[in-house]
Amino acid sequence: MTQPQRERLAAQQGELLRALLGDGEPPSGFDQERLRVEARALLNKRRGIVAALRPDLADVLGDRFRPLFDSYARAHPRQAGTRFREDAAAFADWAVARGELPAPRKQRWWRRGT
Amino acid sequence: MAALGVGIGWRPEIDLTVERLDVDFVEVVAENLHADRLPESVRVLRERGVPVLPHAVSLSLGGADPVDAHRVAHLGALAQALDAPFVSDHVCFVRAGGLDSGHLMPVPRTRDALDVLVANVKAAQADLPVPLALENVAALLEWPDAELSEGRFLAELVERTDCLLLVDVANLYANARNLGTDVGRFLDEIPLERLAYVHVAGGQEHKGVYHDTHAHAVLPEVLDVLRQLRERVDPPGVLLERDDDYPSDAELAGELAAIRAVLA
Repeated sequence: MTQPQRERLAAQQGELLRALLGDGEPPSGFDQERLRVEARALLNKRRGIVAALRPDLADVLGDRFRPLFDSYARAHPRQAGTRFREDAAAFADWAVARGELPAPRKQRWWRRGT
Repeated sequence: MAALGVGIGWRPEIDLTVERLDVDFVEVVAENLHADRLPESVRVLRERGVPVLPHAVSLSLGGADPVDAHRVAHLGALAQALDAPFVSDHVCFVRAGGLDSGHLMPVPRTRDALDVLVANVKAAQADLPVPLALENVAALLEWPDAELSEGRFLAELVERTDCLLLVDVANLYANARNLGTDVGRFLDEIPLERLAYVHVAGGQEHKGVYHDTHAHAVLPEVLDVLRQLRERVDPPGVLLERDDDYPSDAELAGELAAIRAVLA
């Protein structure tokens, strides 16, 4: 049985991802500069994938795309079980809600009335 | 291990290039394909008799959670649809605490992490129709309090699960550069008789840190790590991974030729 090992490992890995992806405290024992390098690399990859999936967003936002996406991403670490397409859509909604993007012109039928 | 030869990662963006290049085998990213609707290019390669190996990135075998049976079933179905001799994923985790890192994260090299990894690998093996090969990842950071070297960690994983190894020499180079991993010691510690094949990829240094980008040319230093491996074993296969900023067919052919030259 590996339950005790799983619990200890879950705590370690969860602490690391919360620090790298969200607003978690940096875990002790790690090189702090390396934590920053890793966090930046993960953010760059996530931003690159969203830009590739939704070039329209990157086009419309231009120079604002990067700082806006980075603000969104730090506040919304990607949840396990979600897809990058959902991440891109959530970023678009976030940018619309902040007035950074115009609201989509065509209301989709499944959003009607909301 | 049956000989595979020299191959390249099949990607939809370079499907026709891959068909034109003279490669002996290819690899596909398992999460991007469905067993019941394979891309035409992949079917063409299979009809030619080119082996197509599914390579997974999302099993999170080094994660604290038990393996997701659906992801394993998907990988197994793909292996059957492609008639693949084996499948692979990484010694890493991608999910923890309800979050998804979006990239392959190194696991702590502790007894705890090894016990969990072994249990997860055995669970995946039980549900897979073909053998599973596991790959060493490139890490940008080092977990504190390691109890085993990376080579010993992989060697014990193989001893306890009988898995195959997929050695990525670019990742090994990255860890040597960024974390001080001893390449010779790593290659001496891992059971090379369990080697399924080898990955080679390009990368770039940025602010003193080497990034395994798969979007730049293969460095001569990475080919030198392949040479060090070749001095110890004749690898069954070597595969070039390119995932972005795709160069011309000629440039990719040149990288494949450089790999063949090291193996000769």
